[in-house]
Amino acid sequence: MAEATGDRPAEERPAAAGGPGRVLVAVYGVFALAAGARAAVQLSTRFTEAPVAYLLSALAAVVYVVATVALALGGRRTALVAITVELVGVLVVGTLSLLDPAAFPDETVWSAYGRGYLFIPLVLPVLGLLFLRRLARRQASSWPSGGADTTAG
Amino acid sequence: MTPVLVVAVTVTAALLALAGIASTLAGRRIGLLHLGGAALLEVLLLVQAVLAVVLLVRGDRPADTPTFLGYLAGIVLLPVAGALWARSEPTRWAGTVLAVAAGTVGVMVWRLQQLWEATGG
Repeated sequence: MAEATGDRPAEERPAAAGGPGRVLVAVYGVFALAAGARAAVQLSTRFTEAPVAYLLSALAAVVYVVATVALALGGRRTALVAITVELVGVLVVGTLSLLDPAAFPDETVWSAYGRGYLFIPLVLPVLGLLFLRRLARRQASSWPSGGADTTAG
Repeated sequence: MTPVLVVAVTVTAALLALAGIASTLAGRRIGLLHLGGAALLEVLLLVQAVLAVVLLVRGDRPADTPTFLGYLAGIVLLPVAGALWARSEPTRWAGTVLAVAAGTVGVMVWRLQQLWEATGG
């Protein structure tokens, strides 16, 4: 898959909404869509079967949507919060789903650390946090007055 | 939903993803090859969608019809969205954006096939 190219050396251009950041936004967008669609189907057609799992699906979808928008618009602090929640979520839900499969009768995006999605849900928040850190460092070095959030379309 | 079409979509998507990654590695923006590949992929997906809808209308129903329809609608949008987005990206990363879209199509088409085979009867 495509995430292998994410660790290439830094470019000269300031990248939040362009360059490698775009790739991250693209992958996040796909997951926002996938998790959102899955949650919508689960909640609307069989909510009573596994309310906890389906509400977690919905939570995952919201987190992905927030992360996607924040990354795309350059809202670094929001992105940091969303991606941190995402990392905690995938670790906690992944662990619980393995320890107590009965509590998760139906798959969520985060079940078994995202096994149903090639483990991308586990890798993605790590890449996201690395990207945000790199962005913060670069802005700190080029604008000593402080890294205010940049907005770019 | 014919296996031939699924394989054709997978091969096209894989080639498009490789072409996209290659252009990123070469430090180039995407070219006509990428847009042509995305167009071919889109045509194959539209043929598949029409075929699936015809089969649905004739009474074949996968067990999880809402999810199947969701995938069917979503997968058709991906090459278009990927190509438009990649075209608006002026750096070498445009190819990788397109590769993400193509890779997603490659995965989704197999999920679609799985959903189809789980027929509700």
